[in-house]
Amino acid sequence: MNTVYPIIPLIEQRAAAAHVSHRADAATSEALGYPGEPVENWQALAIARLGELVAGNRALRVFMDTCTRCGACTDKCHYYLGTRDPNNMPVARQELLRSVWRRYHTWSGRWLPWLVGARELTREMLDDWYRYFHQCSECRRCAVFCPKGIDTSELSMAGREILATVGLGQRYTQTIVEKAGRIGNNLGLKPAALRDVLENLEEDILDETGVAVRLPLDEPNREILVVTPSADFFAEPHVDGLIGYAKMLHAAGVSWTFSSHASEAANFGLFNGNLDQERELAARLVEAVYVLGVSRLVIGECGHAWRVAGERLPSLIGDLSILIKGRAEHLCELSVELLDSGRITLDPARNAGVVATYHDSCNIARGAMMGERADGAFELPRRLLRAAVPTLVEMADGTTRRETFCCGGGGGLLSDELMPLRVQGAEPRARALRRVVERDAVTHLVAICAICKTQFGSVLPAHDLERVRVTSLHALVGDALVLDAPAVPMPGPDGIEPADTATEPAR
Amino acid sequence: MSERADPLEAPLAGQLIGPLFTLVLCWSLGALLWRLWRWARTPQPVPIPLTPAPRTRTGVLGRLAAELFAFRSLFRATRITWLASIAMHYGLLGIALVHARFLMSVLPAWMVPVLQISGWATLATLAGIVVLAARRLLIDRMRWISVPSDHLHLLLLAAIVLSGTALKRLWPTDLHATGLFLRGALSLDWQPLPAQAGLWLHLGLVTLLLAVFPISKLVHGLGILFAPTWNTRAR
Repeated sequence: MNTVYPIIPLIEQRAAAAHVSHRADAATSEALGYPGEPVENWQALAIARLGELVAGNRALRVFMDTCTRCGACTDKCHYYLGTRDPNNMPVARQELLRSVWRRYHTWSGRWLPWLVGARELTREMLDDWYRYFHQCSECRRCAVFCPKGIDTSELSMAGREILATVGLGQRYTQTIVEKAGRIGNNLGLKPAALRDVLENLEEDILDETGVAVRLPLDEPNREILVVTPSADFFAEPHVDGLIGYAKMLHAAGVSWTFSSHASEAANFGLFNGNLDQERELAARLVEAVYVLGVSRLVIGECGHAWRVAGERLPSLIGDLSILIKGRAEHLCELSVELLDSGRITLDPARNAGVVATYHDSCNIARGAMMGERADGAFELPRRLLRAAVPTLVEMADGTTRRETFCCGGGGGLLSDELMPLRVQGAEPRARALRRVVERDAVTHLVAICAICKTQFGSVLPAHDLERVRVTSLHALVGDALVLDAPAVPMPGPDGIEPADTATEPAR
Repeated sequence: MSERADPLEAPLAGQLIGPLFTLVLCWSLGALLWRLWRWARTPQPVPIPLTPAPRTRTGVLGRLAAELFAFRSLFRATRITWLASIAMHYGLLGIALVHARFLMSVLPAWMVPVLQISGWATLATLAGIVVLAARRLLIDRMRWISVPSDHLHLLLLAAIVLSGTALKRLWPTDLHATGLFLRGALSLDWQPLPAQAGLWLHLGLVTLLLAVFPISKLVHGLGILFAPTWNTRAR
């Protein structure tokens, strides 16, 4: 049920047709093994690639056959609700691909196209593929409501892979995949630069807290490798989350390190439906585990990184028995473990005045399991938050947890030229947020995904919500943390952090 | 009329309808098996469970059962469509059970109460079809996504149910001979179909439904069992 849209907006044909993301440049596409320019025989090539993808992927195969166009999904996509373009209804987005599939790969579509709604792959259709498969954030909200279990993101991913095959790759995602494959992170940050960034952050933390918190890089013989999205090293508000992780791990006395080889948790290979790219990027995580000799792999605040590492890593790479739990762990699992065992103490009074609400990031809510309980992805972050802030309120039912609305910027759509689409796609989340801002005076919107944080920071002003602070969960955890003063008190710019030696858990 | 007639004495159409019906049944079953085999044989390179997902095999079976029998996700999505779908599908199930009567030469005692649901099942099916068809015609989003075959499938089902109801309540029908015909078609011992227009219409429509079933969206009921979003366990 959708409580923030009591009336579903009427369709407005081609309302979002103007939102077209930029095409990848030739050099980038070629570096990824795709044609640099649109190819001559695009039609035959695209039809053949579609056939290959369907033959190699049961999800696609089944989803081609089972949709009844029942319409259960039509009002579930944030891009439809925000743009009203009927091609952004999940079923219509799927039909872009499926109607072409029927036309060329089924008997009824070949002989009776008018009867079964089979459509030719024309240049206009190809352009609509490019347009609307890049207006899907692959958030899987529609799949929660589909009575056939159809996951539109699988079709969007396949559509993007076909487009890349005929020389129509998207610039934002391809640039990032290429950079991450070559340098190791999406920002193109080389090891020396990363080391500088981390050292500067150590100084900042020391200045602020008077505590010498380390941000170790490539240090051997550590227990835990932490891999976080590279946005955490630079971007606001992400970096406050990184500082939060570091302070927490320091306070708990955890032995950990970052890796310069695996300096990126995000994996844009997932977004474009190219398993080889996804595998190549994911392999860096496991390589770093072996090289550094850690026994635990912990993924920081990033949505789809967790989907890849938490759910897909064994299928992509293989056995993970080198890890003590035989799997990657989410940072929130580790944090809850530290909180429950009393190794860290959180004092919500240190976040006095904060009224927080939690945005379930799509890939965490619907993409992978967190911890050992089925509802861990919903409950673990909230437990941390309840321990860290005085007040936590929930947005309307039907807009959180499994049914959470996407931020509007996921799935490779976080590029500047798509800003109007991103603003419209954020409308459902903004509506739900506005209600709790008005009702409960919410001050902070908390997320555990780098894309969500960047997106909300950019689009909330357009929804008159610029006063809500977009925050990393672990920034609030770090602020609430009872951090021991150094053995020899040293004066900082703001005086000395009071020594707090409480050892009881905060809960 | 009710005694076993020699098929050779019936007119040509009457001789052909039995084997044709058997042939369509074989096609339907064969095409369905082929489709199941193709779904099962296609690899799924990475798990894509829609979380929160069950972690045990039993849990997966429970999830599939809830979707297959209670249409759980549809319930989450829209209550009116859910109600209409439940009415139509369970109505059809009831009608199918009632028709099992034709497969038996002697009426077993347990069949007697089953036959009682006939009217209600018909009513539920028709009500469901009307609501589902009205949605497709009245809601702008539904009009946009519907293709001709979507409407025609509903029309076909409605025509089958209505002609069947007419056979039961309006047009005198030789049910015994109809039973002989159906049992004959299944046992390759073909019997003539009584020469009654209504019966031929009803059976013709059912034959059409059987023929298109495996090559249309009507296979969704079996297809959902193969949806990797539901039938894979969480890590």
